[in-house]
Amino acid sequence: MVYDELRRLAAAYMRRERPGQTLQATALVHEAYMRLAGAGTPWHDERHFVGIAARSMRQILVERARARGAQKRWAGLNRVSMTDALAVASEPVVMLPALDEALTRLEAIDAEQARIVELRYFAGLSIEDTADALGMSPATLKRRWALARAWLFREMSGT
Amino acid sequence: MDRDATDVAAWVAREAADDSAVRAEVLSLVDHHSRAGAFLAQPIVEQAADLLMDDEPLAPGARIGDYTIVRELGRGGMGRVYLASDARLGRTVALKALAPHLMRDPSQRERLRGEARAAAALTHPGICTVYALEEIDGDLYIATEFVDGHTLGEEIRAGRQPTRDEAWQTARELAAALASAHARGIVHRDLKPDNVMRDREGRLKILDFGLARIGVGAPDAAPRMTQPGTLIGTPAYMAPEQINGLPVDARADVFAFGVLLYEYACGAHPFAASTALATVARVLESDARPLASRADIPSRLADVIARCLQKAPAGRFGSAAELLGALDAAGADAAEPARHATWWRVHHVVITLLYIAGATFAWQIKEWVETPVTVSIFLALGATATIGGVLRGHFVFTSVMNYPRLTTERRRTRRPLMWLDGLTAVLLLADAAMVAGTGALPAVFALALGLGIALASLVLEPATTAAAFGDEP
Repeated sequence: MVYDELRRLAAAYMRRERPGQTLQATALVHEAYMRLAGAGTPWHDERHFVGIAARSMRQILVERARARGAQKRWAGLNRVSMTDALAVASEPVVMLPALDEALTRLEAIDAEQARIVELRYFAGLSIEDTADALGMSPATLKRRWALARAWLFREMSGT
Repeated sequence: MDRDATDVAAWVAREAADDSAVRAEVLSLVDHHSRAGAFLAQPIVEQAADLLMDDEPLAPGARIGDYTIVRELGRGGMGRVYLASDARLGRTVALKALAPHLMRDPSQRERLRGEARAAAALTHPGICTVYALEEIDGDLYIATEFVDGHTLGEEIRAGRQPTRDEAWQTARELAAALASAHARGIVHRDLKPDNVMRDREGRLKILDFGLARIGVGAPDAAPRMTQPGTLIGTPAYMAPEQINGLPVDARADVFAFGVLLYEYACGAHPFAASTALATVARVLESDARPLASRADIPSRLADVIARCLQKAPAGRFGSAAELLGALDAAGADAAEPARHATWWRVHHVVITLLYIAGATFAWQIKEWVETPVTVSIFLALGATATIGGVLRGHFVFTSVMNYPRLTTERRRTRRPLMWLDGLTAVLLLADAAMVAGTGALPAVFALALGLGIALASLVLEPATTAAAFGDEP
């Protein structure tokens, strides 16, 4: 349900978005929450909702990237050159399916770290909001986020 | 994690002195953290908002303003293309739904409108007409003429080598269409075999004229390197200056025309290489193998194509109008009648003589049996003989004096000639019946003449034409 609402909202956003404005994932997630909360859906709390929304965003984006053949293009790239962080950052869509797989492996080791990545990277939450959603201090969140990034980066660059 | 690397190494060595595996893991993560740079730093939607685009195709029967979707035709750089019917005028159109990310910006919408307007001004029969740019529920659509047929790309991939005549004909038709657009200052920029359709009547039509830049989504049509090894656009048909991102003009189309014709004539791309990048390198640096050595085509046509393929724009024809002039001059000078055209000419002369024999004999019959019917048959046969003789004489004249036009002329007059021959045969058979009462011999002669003309039209003519030009008349 969150998934469908986000998809619908995202499509609507894409049509009427004003020029020069980057699409804010947080705004999208927030609007979805307001709609679903207004519809009388019993959510435990906003934190719970944000977690589910972040997971849905991950699903939507990875699915679309797969549909565009991102996997094949990623596989065709030379992994050695991928240690260059700039090359990875330049075309994020291509790496989404591989990132999704790495994230699933991270989940098995440390589920909380995977949640952090979903909230920060897929739902676009700030350090403070992510810390709040997971009930930890911003300083702790920062350290764990840095660790998750380093771990994923190592997985993705294959070194 | 925020401490600098030497510090951390010392700290790790102290804390995990007794476990080398833990130590290695920690150091590896620290190392990757320092190299991760901007990795995951910016939320994905802010970088790739178009991923959220709703790209479900429209279902058949869906209504978009006054258009009803019939089916999806394909998917291109601009978005999906549908076959749709326009309720207002009751005609069938190709409806291109432009991807939303191409037109979010008002200045981009404005540019797009300008390009569609310019493209809509092109009304050459060799160019697929743009009907309208429609804005429906905030989405942009381009409605164009729907061309039913197949692309030149499909023709090339099917692997059939064109005859010399077909090569001339294709070159002239394409050059004429390009010339009409260049005269209005419109450059195609993405001319390639998949952008040229051959309709059911065999006529060529260039698609997406003046619309190439819409798909790129940037004011200049420079190719963009987005990923090592991936080049947006169709690099195999781009002129060197276009690959280099320099401004392009009509001469880039002339280059693409050269590549297209080369490929059409011999079935192989002039700069073929194993990968897209290697092809681009060859476009920039190597010369194509002379076309005459790879295909049975007139050497003059090969010369014209070679000039189109010059690396420097200044070495090519200045526009398609110049190119067309060169093709006409080469065709007229060369006058390279095909191998068996002599027998084909004899055929036309003989049939013309048979027409005259038929008309003369009808006069004789009218003298023997003077009724209103025989008089009418004589007059009708006189008319068919005159028209048929003129048409066949025109063939012989064109084949000698203006060879490049011959294919067009043959196509134009094929059906009228067949009807004419049929009518002549029927008139002679009727005359045979009229004269049967007077004597068997004249009746048999008229009968033989009629059947002879009918047979020549249905059996001999296709055979001599096929022998001379490699195609049916």
